[in-house]
Amino acid sequence: MLKPKVCILRTDGTNCDAETLHAFEKAGGQCRMVHVNQLRSGEERLSDYQIMALPGGFSYGDDVHSGKILAVELTSYLKESLQEFVDSGKPVIGICNGFQVLVRTGLLPGRKLGDIRCTLMHNHSGRFECRWVNLKVEDSPCIFTRGMSGKTISVQVAHGEGKFYADGDQLNTLETGGQVVFRYSARDGAPTMSYPQNPNGSINSIAGICDKTGLVMGLMPHPERFVAVHQHPDWRRGEMGEPHGLPVFINAVKYCIEM
Amino acid sequence: MIQEVRVVNLPDFPDTVGEALLYDIRNTLGVQDITGVRTAKVYRLEGIGESEAGYIAQRLLAEEIFQRYSINRPVLEGGLVLEVAYKPGVMNPEAASIVKSVADLGIGGLLAVDSSREYIFYGPGADKDTVEVILKKLLVNETVEMVVKKRPQSLILEGKPGPTAIIPVRNMTEDQLMELSHDKLFLNIEEMLSIKNHFIELGRDPTDCEVETLAQTWSEHCGHKTFKADLIVNGQKKSPLLKRLQEATREASHPLVISAFEDNSGVMEFFDGWAICGKVETHNSPSAIEPYGGAMTGSGGVFRDIMGTGRGARVIVSADMFCFAPPWMEPGDVPPGCLHPKYLLRRVVSGVRDYGNRMGIPTNNGSVHFHDDFRAKPSVIVGAYGILPAEGCQKGTPLPGDLAVVIGGRTGRDGIHGATFSSGEMTHRTVDVNASAVQIGNAIEEKRTSDALLEASSQGLVRAVTDCGAGGFGSALGEMGSETGVLVWLEKAPLKYPGLSPWEIWLSESQERMVLALDPRHWSIFSEICQNYNVESVVLGTFTDDHSLRVTYDGETVCHLDMDFLHHGLPRRELEACWAPPESGKADPGPVEDWSDFYCRVMSHPDVCSKEPIIRMYDHGVQGSNALPPLGGMDGGAPNDAVVVAPLYGRNYGMIVSHGLNPVLNNINPYHGSLWAAAEAVSNAVAAGADPGDICLIDNFIWPYPDSESLGALDMAVDACVDFVRATGMPFISGKDSLSSTYRNSDDTLIKIPPVLCISAFGRIKDVSRTVSTDFKKSDSYIVLVGKRVASEMAGSVYCRLAGIQGDNLPRIDLETMALVFKAIHAAVRQGLLLACHDISEGGLSAALAEMCFGGDVGCGINIENTDTPVELLFNETAGNFVIEVGNPADLQDVFNGIPWRVLGKTTRSGKITVSRGSEVLFAVDTDLLREAWQRPMKEVFGC
Repeated sequence: MLKPKVCILRTDGTNCDAETLHAFEKAGGQCRMVHVNQLRSGEERLSDYQIMALPGGFSYGDDVHSGKILAVELTSYLKESLQEFVDSGKPVIGICNGFQVLVRTGLLPGRKLGDIRCTLMHNHSGRFECRWVNLKVEDSPCIFTRGMSGKTISVQVAHGEGKFYADGDQLNTLETGGQVVFRYSARDGAPTMSYPQNPNGSINSIAGICDKTGLVMGLMPHPERFVAVHQHPDWRRGEMGEPHGLPVFINAVKYCIEM
Repeated sequence: MIQEVRVVNLPDFPDTVGEALLYDIRNTLGVQDITGVRTAKVYRLEGIGESEAGYIAQRLLAEEIFQRYSINRPVLEGGLVLEVAYKPGVMNPEAASIVKSVADLGIGGLLAVDSSREYIFYGPGADKDTVEVILKKLLVNETVEMVVKKRPQSLILEGKPGPTAIIPVRNMTEDQLMELSHDKLFLNIEEMLSIKNHFIELGRDPTDCEVETLAQTWSEHCGHKTFKADLIVNGQKKSPLLKRLQEATREASHPLVISAFEDNSGVMEFFDGWAICGKVETHNSPSAIEPYGGAMTGSGGVFRDIMGTGRGARVIVSADMFCFAPPWMEPGDVPPGCLHPKYLLRRVVSGVRDYGNRMGIPTNNGSVHFHDDFRAKPSVIVGAYGILPAEGCQKGTPLPGDLAVVIGGRTGRDGIHGATFSSGEMTHRTVDVNASAVQIGNAIEEKRTSDALLEASSQGLVRAVTDCGAGGFGSALGEMGSETGVLVWLEKAPLKYPGLSPWEIWLSESQERMVLALDPRHWSIFSEICQNYNVESVVLGTFTDDHSLRVTYDGETVCHLDMDFLHHGLPRRELEACWAPPESGKADPGPVEDWSDFYCRVMSHPDVCSKEPIIRMYDHGVQGSNALPPLGGMDGGAPNDAVVVAPLYGRNYGMIVSHGLNPVLNNINPYHGSLWAAAEAVSNAVAAGADPGDICLIDNFIWPYPDSESLGALDMAVDACVDFVRATGMPFISGKDSLSSTYRNSDDTLIKIPPVLCISAFGRIKDVSRTVSTDFKKSDSYIVLVGKRVASEMAGSVYCRLAGIQGDNLPRIDLETMALVFKAIHAAVRQGLLLACHDISEGGLSAALAEMCFGGDVGCGINIENTDTPVELLFNETAGNFVIEVGNPADLQDVFNGIPWRVLGKTTRSGKITVSRGSEVLFAVDTDLLREAWQRPMKEVFGC
């Protein structure tokens, strides 16, 4: 079976690219780091890939707004190839800074470039924070979480601008359309607004969303930081089972293979 | 024409910057009648029209969902508005991103950009005087920032380079030479005279560039004059400090050492053809006057040391150790010209956070220590560790004809005199005179430079690489070309703005620059790689075979020095040292009256209390490599002794990093305090599972200006290091000294900052699944104390400091037993016998037990013997001792044969720490109470 090709998109300040690449490799993907300059120059073509990942980091220093400078670059120079990639039904994942970029391009939640419907603001605490949190996996069309709905997973967040916000109508659309994929929750899986389990004050405890088709997904936490057992701080206490982040990547690879 | 765009959050949305400031106004300044603060971002765009500015605001600067903007109009109204900006010439990292994005939006003509922030204050207390105090104490660091009083006419910096000056040293008297040296060159009279004599021999006077180059190369910071000096200690001749350390390492002849004290960092063997390297630096002087920028550039500098190791390494761990005065110090107790410790602590943490997080390097090891005498100058210690292919560990020597290439950031007037400045004494004038020695770092520039360098290195294009740190091009190229010679064309250096004189370009310490030697055949492919990563690369010169350093600017020679004189002309010093122990008796601790209260006081002592709020602000998990993270346990807040990373994905090989330091003990006795630091560093590593045979060490001496007394103390500290190496076989492979921890007030009174020896330990671990965390894993298991100590050696302990008891009976470590204990603990780890392990340090057994209970969400019952003095048992701080959790103590008989160990008690389900003697309960204290006391101090400092 041919391994699906995964484009790990990087640019100045991308810094979770290596671990994201490893997660997809471990899941069975064939990965390549692609600098946005290589797409702009035509040296690389998005259409040669089956999956695109926008990793975490501080693209262009998160200047002005987190992910904004890269979002403007993508919508200015790669509008057609990006829209074509999404329209052809290929999975896209944005993690942390990548999620911020997807939201600021408009690919999330409406899969339409330039149509910005929601936002990620400064954490309610006003601070960058790195901590392990629990996520309740919601029932959604998201292809990255197939077979996971109802579960509570443990993953790390590390961000300063992760407070998800959308206005009433848009929020309603997301909720009724099943586009909420992950919620910050207590250990028992109950979604929570209380700090620090909800580390940033996200509305409706939203940690990750997808588009209507479930092919484009973004989340603030880092599933790529938990694809091996010893990556969890408490693996010595046992009881963890399989690494909680790995299925996200396996699902995407499986989806492409099944296509 | 400048267009001004102001962006503000809509009223329904919080303004986290304003809220954080309000918190500080209330809690740091104690001003209660300011009821609100709102802020706006201000962007100034030069060279475009108003409608274009509107388009940029809408598409880039403001997020319509929660913000609004104005063009050339105020946006904050109804109160006193103030704008704070970087001073002209201080690099604002945001500007370059905006320029790029505006171009991406298809708008041309933009000439310059700047961004700043406006503040508005509401409430009855928001008068001019109060706001002035807020500006001074919280908002503006005048070293780099200013209040914008009027709209600038232009953002474009202009200037003409000054001519190269000739300094007539040949005719100068000794007084005149010293006047030239004062505040600028920081050289002593012998050094100034040897410069004078050299130029008399040459029959000409030097240029400003030549004098400055010599001063940089001969500075204490670069030349380590004290460490290389011949010593007379109490009348006896002793060999130089550095030589002793290096000889000890050579004698240890450790099989894993690849390079020691040679490269930008120390390198040791890892596994499967990989090597790991470590470097620890201090950045005290810049951090003292501009803590945010100072900490950033400190981090950036030590990362570049790793990047510039061998033919290029990847940075995988960042470590930060700080010493400050207590954050709750009365402002009146802070000496003039010095910043308040709370401000320093918070800003230093922010600087480390913003650099490491953006670079994507996990900051996962560190500590903070407090002592009143750091009020004049903090110790800011930054470490970094990297991984590189073993075959790329040795730098090549540049060949004549090789290109001298600079990549990364542009050169500005930043950090001029940084090396000489950090070698000088800090005075009440320091802030005014040396302002140009500090700058703001740009982590993204360094990140992309690292990305490009690693790719070029992996393709075998790099002959040699080094970072551009203290002394700038002068130091980097002077050193790289020392064996051959180098010719430099200064006018080729990319500048941030025009107007730099040649000597300024040559010595500028602008950050994020790396210097390389390349085979000319590799240039085109190398420059292409750089271009792909948006990294500027320029050929700055060529290596020659004339053994001289020749620097030209537009054809004019501005510096022509013989490499031999530059690197070997520095007169070797002979220094006198003596150290007499301070007059003090034995610390004799009395009994504790209220155990519960005292235990809480120990847990909330700043040296013991939880540093969780700091650790959480660092992205300690990036790279997904932690196998033993800094925090763990049931509530995620229990501190581990060391960090273990698994840098090669999919493989279980680990690198461990830990450290130890104790300025209090060093003050009591430099020898035993230093042994403690080394023992603590290694204990931390061993507790987590390190094999003591696979550990290398790094030393950092942060010492007062070496008068004979301080030098005597330094001599003892070095002896301690040497003895430690001999006892354990662990070699020092990198080190640094910073001998300027002295503050001189206007009335000539001196404050000597406590001497700090920070020992860092790093090593390799074959299998990260054989490592141990500190949290108790279950109830009903056994708690065992392992290691040798004389419990009555209490001087310098947190207990004695809290009780105000002084003395000289500090812990004296038995090196021989300690080495056996390390091996035994490791054997127990390897056999999988240890459920948890924690070493004993500040706060003693009491703090270790409490932290282990917090992590496991359990309590414990400790039984003491009739012969134990409870205070000593619980609060003695002898390093090299461990608390372990085991299922069955009988399993330990074999591995612990021949070393001291005893069963202390058991873990319980009770939620209490109970200490009993036989059937008599001495005390029982709730772990919740202890935890609250332990967490409170830093939560208050950081407003969590």
